[in-house]
Amino acid sequence: MSTLRDRMDFRQNAADAVKDASLRRTMRTATDVFATMRTRGLNSLPIDTWRDEASAIRQTILDDLLAYLDQFTAAATKAGAVVHRARDAESARETIFHILKDRGVRKIVKSKSMVTEEIELNPYLEHRGMSVVETDLGEYIVQLAGEPPSHILAPALHMNRKQVGRLFAEKLGVEYSEDPEVLTRIARDVLRKEFLAADAGISGANLAVAETGSLVIFTNEGNGRMVTTLPKLHVAVFTIEKLIPSLRELPTFIRLLPRSATGQPLSSYMSVVTGTRKAEETCGAQELHIVLLDNGRTGILAGEYREILKCIRCSACINVCPVYRVIGGHAYGSTYPGPMGIVLTNLLEGIDKSHPLLDASTLCGACVDVCPVRVPLTDLIRRLRERRVTEGLTPMAERAEMAAFGLVAGSPALFDFAQRVSRLSWPLLEMLSGPGTLERLPRPVKDTFRRRMS
Amino acid sequence: MNPTIDLFMQNAPRVGAHAIFAENREQLASTLLNILADEESVYFPCISDLEKTLAAGCPRRVNDYFGATATVEEATAAIAETGTIVSTSAKGRPVQATLLPAHHVALVSRTNVFQTVDDFFASCMDPLPANITLITGPSRTADIELTLTVGVHGPKRVDIIVF
Repeated sequence: MSTLRDRMDFRQNAADAVKDASLRRTMRTATDVFATMRTRGLNSLPIDTWRDEASAIRQTILDDLLAYLDQFTAAATKAGAVVHRARDAESARETIFHILKDRGVRKIVKSKSMVTEEIELNPYLEHRGMSVVETDLGEYIVQLAGEPPSHILAPALHMNRKQVGRLFAEKLGVEYSEDPEVLTRIARDVLRKEFLAADAGISGANLAVAETGSLVIFTNEGNGRMVTTLPKLHVAVFTIEKLIPSLRELPTFIRLLPRSATGQPLSSYMSVVTGTRKAEETCGAQELHIVLLDNGRTGILAGEYREILKCIRCSACINVCPVYRVIGGHAYGSTYPGPMGIVLTNLLEGIDKSHPLLDASTLCGACVDVCPVRVPLTDLIRRLRERRVTEGLTPMAERAEMAAFGLVAGSPALFDFAQRVSRLSWPLLEMLSGPGTLERLPRPVKDTFRRRMS
Repeated sequence: MNPTIDLFMQNAPRVGAHAIFAENREQLASTLLNILADEESVYFPCISDLEKTLAAGCPRRVNDYFGATATVEEATAAIAETGTIVSTSAKGRPVQATLLPAHHVALVSRTNVFQTVDDFFASCMDPLPANITLITGPSRTADIELTLTVGVHGPKRVDIIVF
């Protein structure tokens, strides 16, 4: 089982992952299933029209984000929610902690939220004496294992049923089983007790509706429904760009998000949560706090990579990425893996602390082909690679080589001379580098293209 | 049957729900009793007249959904495009009652079946209830080796009677 990795060691992490035969088998099956489900789910539907619509709607939000945020805040407040703004991870953690502490909260249930992974909320609350239980089955499994999620939608994707069976036997003291049905039943029973005992629920949001102040949460298991309806107190945290203008735009995302993620026409449950329980109602939190988190988004919005903020976290780009499919999520050493993760991590955490991830792409464009909101992922990765060079983050040897190549390529005489030298020295190079090393390079020829054309 | 209801009857089974069409109230009541035959305890919210009437004729009825094995609710709406039923918190409905028991039986009037999700949201009035939940098939997970398992946190079985 993998542990927390450093993304600056990406090359080594990837090499280790490639050698892990069990991980590769698990990943191959899993990503094939995802890709097949998506293809089947989108068969004979006007998907490209929907993608144009969704992309335009997300662009509208980004073009006028501050106004939409104010509109959302006013509507949510009117519906009974308390809206907080957090500039960074630290202020979000503090805000959430104080909301919980002031109300004497000890036990918290959570539905899956990648942004709470981004701000490392669980360890923060746990160190301050609160119990935090993840209730999405996959997230619960990785929490028991003490690992970060390896996929934004299926957090325990990297584990096989035997590993989960052993984990449950060890941590929960139940009899070993590797039957997913039995393991799911065990988790249902354990987590049902947690839901009923919890003082507060913490959730993210897949989308938020500016006009009505509503949160939109998609789940298949129903844990999102439990977290937002059973405890008296509900804290929702999400980043500022998650808005859509009104409920009229919601159907476009209902059609695209589940299909892009798992090929389903709709997730089992989709809840639109608007404010707190009203006078005549018997359902919904009595107190709802919404934490709107910036954590670098305003900065991204102002720059040339803003289109990454259209992302709706469906995970389609991750599932089709040939690099992710081989190495899995942990090798990235970042909250978000795959193509969207490469871009977002470099922007959020700084290119100086993340640039090795820029190599985790072949620029094949499979991600661009599936993105439901048309984020130009390969363009963004290529532009970040250029920035890596201009900021001098590439290795000294690589920079020297590129400088030398530039010099030679700029002069016909030097280029001709270099071609001759490489042809003549080829047998020597083969001898020095050992068998197999030069096989993938084209062998220099005497009658070069340039010579034939001149 | 009109084309919208026809589409709903086709799509509900595709997402793992059982859909039955009842021609009249008598058929609705008898179908319901058949569906509930094996249930130990059945919860009805008793908010609509229909729920009150049917609850009165149901043996093994309980007043608390936490321990119930089944919930019978008149759903606010259904959506043909996706085979979805809708639970909302309007009129004091406990939306969690359709989640906690392992068996959810939804009753939908044929006049409340919408063609598309757009049609449904266009019908939502301001102010919105605290909770609108679209339910599409049973609770499911594929978090262990992407093996589909139903009934993880919510119902394992969803029956829908359109009347």
